[in-house]
This record gives sequence, structure tokens and C-alpha cells, in this order.
Amino acid sequence: MVNDGGQLYTIEGVAAGLIMLLTAYMVVGATTICTPGDAHISDMQLEVLGSDALTMVDTPPNSSMAESPLQLIIEDDSGGGGRFKNMFMNYTNVSGFGPKHDIQFSANYTYEADGSIMSAQINSSRNLTGGEHAVRVTKWVLVNKRLPPAGPLEKRAVLVEVLLWRD
Amino acid sequence: MARLNDDAQWIILMGFLVSFSLFFLAIVINQSTVVGQTIAESVVEFPKNDIRDISHVIKEHAVSNGVITDKVHRDILNLSIQRKGAVINYTLTHDTNYHSLITYNNGVTTYSENWTSD
Repeated sequence: MVNDGGQLYTIEGVAAGLIMLLTAYMVVGATTICTPGDAHISDMQLEVLGSDALTMVDTPPNSSMAESPLQLIIEDDSGGGGRFKNMFMNYTNVSGFGPKHDIQFSANYTYEADGSIMSAQINSSRNLTGGEHAVRVTKWVLVNKRLPPAGPLEKRAVLVEVLLWRD
Repeated sequence: MARLNDDAQWIILMGFLVSFSLFFLAIVINQSTVVGQTIAESVVEFPKNDIRDISHVIKEHAVSNGVITDKVHRDILNLSIQRKGAVINYTLTHDTNYHSLITYNNGVTTYSENWTSD
């Protein structure tokens, strides 16, 4: 025989149980704070900035120029590094009238010579100390160059690699 | 001793079990939000700039009468594996138009493209 006299007791018991569960859950949940790593946000922004700046250096400024500044810089054996540094830092540190950014870079290009991969430095804003949290942006460039310097002058593909970091 | 009524023991035991399992599930679901890849991480991992860059440079080489037996082909294939960690292959043909067929695979993302100039 069913008697509904205990309904209020039951409801009170269920409610009390739920409150206790909720309290215990909140207590246990508050003891640990796990943050999803958001270092990737600033990395991604820096990578996009560097990639855009490098693309700008690799774009001829007008239609009458057949080669881009980056191609000329790499083909220049006597060092187009200063030119690269000026252009690149101009693009990454432009911020209107505000304070300058503190973006540093180190650029080199890699090529294949005699079956092995070599790399030649273009320029850097300062020397790497090894403690920088850097992102890398790359750009393929077609150049007419002797690689290695004793080799024939022909059309080659090199990979320009720029490391970017914030101080 | 007064007689104890122990008829409801099963009910109480089941109640405890259900509440503990609910509690455990709630903690698991709570911690699940901090697991996995963040959005920025996925953006960085997707090789959008790499693919656009290699696609552009191969087309640039194609329209200046590049062939797949020249040094540029070897440069691109080898440098790509060694420095970018991506396997690339491409073929170039030239009749009335220039054609290029590119495949790209960096282990996570694959891309293939068939292009014809005007």
C-alpha cells in the first residue's frame, strides 16, 4: 500500500543531497586552476606580422621593376644585409605615433650546395642569446646566383628564414 | 536495544553510489574544457602561408619556362624536406599555356593543386 505522507521528507532529502554535492564539487574545483596555454596567441600574431613584412620585402615596389628587393638583396654578394634590416625593421616596427615595438629579428637564407644544405646570414637586429622565444617565418625566393660561390651562375631557389622575437 | 529497522539499506547504498558517480562525472566534464588544442595553436599549425608561398613560387618558375630537370626543382624539393618538414613534388608542362601540378604534405596537412595559365 502506497502512502504519500513522506513526500516532503523526500524532497527535502534530495535537495539537501544536491546542495551538498554542489558544495563538494565547487570546493574540489576551486583547488586547481588550469589555464589553457595562450602563448600561442602572441606567437600566431607575431608570425602573421613577420610573414606579412617578409612578403612586403619580396614585392617589387612598382611594375617597372622585374625583381623584388629581396631578390636583389640575396643576389648582392657584397651584402644587402643593411638594406634588408632597414626595410624589415621599418615594416615590423611601424606603429604610427606610439612607442616603437620591441620586435627583433635574425635573417638568413638556406640553399643547397654540393649535396648539402648551407645557410648564409643576411642580417640580424642583435645577436641571439639563446633565451629568446622566437617564431620563424620563411619565404621562397628565386634568384640568379652562384651557389656555392665557385659554382655556375644559374637560377636557383633559396629559402629565406627569419626568426622573430619580442624583447 | 530497540529493534533497528534495516530494510532501506539497499536504497541508501544506491543513493550514495549515484551521487558519487554524478560528482565524478561533473569533475571530468569540468576539466575537459582545458584539454585539447587552443584555437591559436590550430591556426599556427595550419600551413596557410607555407602553401601559398610554395604555390606562388612554383607558378613564378613555371611561367619563366621552368622545367623539372633544373636545379630549382631539386632545391625546392630538398630544402622543403630539410628546412620545412614538408614533402613537396611538382611537375611543369608547357603547351599553349603553362601548367603546374603541385602536391604538398607536411605530415598533418596535405594539399594538391592543378593550375593552368591563361
